[in-house]
Amino acid sequence: MLLYNLRLAWKSVLRHPALSGLIVAGIALGVAVSTSFVTIWHVLAADPVPGKSGRLFFVRVDAWGAPEPYDEAGNPPPQLTYQDMRRLLGASDIPVRQTASFPSIAYVRPQERGQAGRRPFQATLRMTTADFFPMFEAPFRYGSGWDRTADAKPEAVAVIGSDLNDRLFGGKDSVGSTLRLNDRDFKIVGVLEDWRPKVRYYDLLGNAYQEPEEIFLPLEHFRAMGLEPTGSRNSWRVEPWGLMETLDSSEMIWLQMWVELESASDVRAYHAFLDDYARDQKKLGRFPKPLNNRLSAVGELMEEWQVVPRQAKALAAISALFLVIAALNLIGLFLGKFLARSSVVGVRRALGASRGAIFAQHLVECEVVALIGGVLGLLVSMGVLALVNRMYQPAGVEEAFFQLDASMMLAALGFALLAGGIAGVYPSWRICAIAPAHHLKNQ
Amino acid sequence: MLEMHNVTKIYRTGLVETRALRDFTLTVDSGEFVTITGPSGSGKTTFLNVAGLLDGFEQGTYKLDGVDVSRLTDRQMSRIRNEKIGFIFQSFNLIPDLDVADNVDVPLRYRGLSAKDRKERIERALGLVGLTSRARHLPSQLSGGQQQRVAIARVLAGDPKLILADEPTGNLDSGMAREIMELLEQINEAGTSIIMVTHNPEHAARAHRQLHIADGRMVDMERIAPMPLNRVIAHPSAARA
Repeated sequence: MLLYNLRLAWKSVLRHPALSGLIVAGIALGVAVSTSFVTIWHVLAADPVPGKSGRLFFVRVDAWGAPEPYDEAGNPPPQLTYQDMRRLLGASDIPVRQTASFPSIAYVRPQERGQAGRRPFQATLRMTTADFFPMFEAPFRYGSGWDRTADAKPEAVAVIGSDLNDRLFGGKDSVGSTLRLNDRDFKIVGVLEDWRPKVRYYDLLGNAYQEPEEIFLPLEHFRAMGLEPTGSRNSWRVEPWGLMETLDSSEMIWLQMWVELESASDVRAYHAFLDDYARDQKKLGRFPKPLNNRLSAVGELMEEWQVVPRQAKALAAISALFLVIAALNLIGLFLGKFLARSSVVGVRRALGASRGAIFAQHLVECEVVALIGGVLGLLVSMGVLALVNRMYQPAGVEEAFFQLDASMMLAALGFALLAGGIAGVYPSWRICAIAPAHHLKNQ
Repeated sequence: MLEMHNVTKIYRTGLVETRALRDFTLTVDSGEFVTITGPSGSGKTTFLNVAGLLDGFEQGTYKLDGVDVSRLTDRQMSRIRNEKIGFIFQSFNLIPDLDVADNVDVPLRYRGLSAKDRKERIERALGLVGLTSRARHLPSQLSGGQQQRVAIARVLAGDPKLILADEPTGNLDSGMAREIMELLEQINEAGTSIIMVTHNPEHAARAHRQLHIADGRMVDMERIAPMPLNRVIAHPSAARA
């Protein structure tokens, strides 16, 4: 019966092309608007590391020594001082992995044969530790990350991104090759795949939508290389801008730390460890405020720091409402179309169609029209997203940022069916409830 | 086949009540051909609508093929309409979007028959009314008489026990009307009960029994001898037997 109803629906669409076109356009508009904005929200709010985001925790301890809190909301500072990072990183065996990092820049000096004529160029760095790669599931094309012993020395090893590998080595396996940064040589131990998470979840400060850095080095090289962080740094007291002079006693916050904890009990235990650390620091005259340490999962941090702009969420909600309103506006058109064929419905009722069969026939027609509108709306929303990408592409992101994935395409068709249902239920009910006898004589 | 006792049908419009049927009593036997005449507004069509389960009634009892229809659900009544009743209307009531074969197919669709069974029934029914070659024509491409024959084929395909015909020759010229009457008589001869509303005394006189309705009541009832048939066509049920 469904196939029969689909056939009847298609005939009806073709019989009234103008009216059908109007309804299709209405649904397409609603679907296009809602799909576009929901996609924007969906892309921004998507779990950047599914299956693991609940185990990765951002570490904050309140080392802010000023009488005033760090911010009006009473949050601890978002980053750590170097001295706190040194004392915390590796001090507890509760986390299965732990890492600290900060972003920087350096000059790459091409050394390989065939690259000699190339001029040095600036590249982005992530100074970090060995656990960074397995923690954040960085995918490798060649080689791997370095091990923990390389952090301690630190060894002159590097992991590079695929773009840099393409640029310097033509995409070949460069593991074992030398990378000259500023005036130092590093042995490449790993080349990442084309790694472009929608949200750079390991560093949600600043622009979280940038691509990962081009080069990753063991963190402690920053001292010898004199690398300064390109991310934010802040201090509650006046300190020299150059970090190196007072590094070990500096109150400058500029390092980010993450731990990987496997269970809720581990989270509680590590939080207690942080509190114990803060109490110890209080005894040394630091951490003057009440205990205010935080462990925040990726999703919590994205929410707290509003990585997804509130406007995106609001627009998604408003656009869904727009779809409902568009659908409600189509009720009248469907109703007029259906009631105009009351006599035919009367004939069908006389020939044995139940009210349910008539209802189903007309609802199927609504859904067919809605699906056509949905497909059209999907195409329009692709255009809208292309426009949005052109206008608001986040800096540093090359590929189209807002794209319709399979789930959003299905969602768009779902929106269309929902709109068809909203617009079609009442007219279908009205037409199935007509008194057939009244219309038979009048055909 | 049909037993109505003291059936009353009232139409209400605001404060105005119109009794379209008043204590209407009628029994029609299986295989009987009954014609109903009466002035406009006398209740003829209302009777057909009630008899065809297209309209309810306020008082009385109505049994169709032994089933008391007063307490049936919409789905049950629809099933009875689909399987036991065939309708023929003055204005043919074909569905304009559908071609001849698809029009004949409509009641079969609601019966849930297989595609093969439906195809066989459609071909047989169109063959019986001589419209096999017009199967893919739209109703608008047919003459009035042909359209009414399609409507009759639609009935034949469903193989009903009772045909309710509301002025089936009312929109046809005399030649076409005669053809349709002969067709109905042949169907009746094959065993199907027919109740036909008509204004045409000549057509009314061809039935086994003539009834007259006035003011919602049966005012005259007379049994007459069946008319001789010019020719006999096979009824679908007979063909299957």
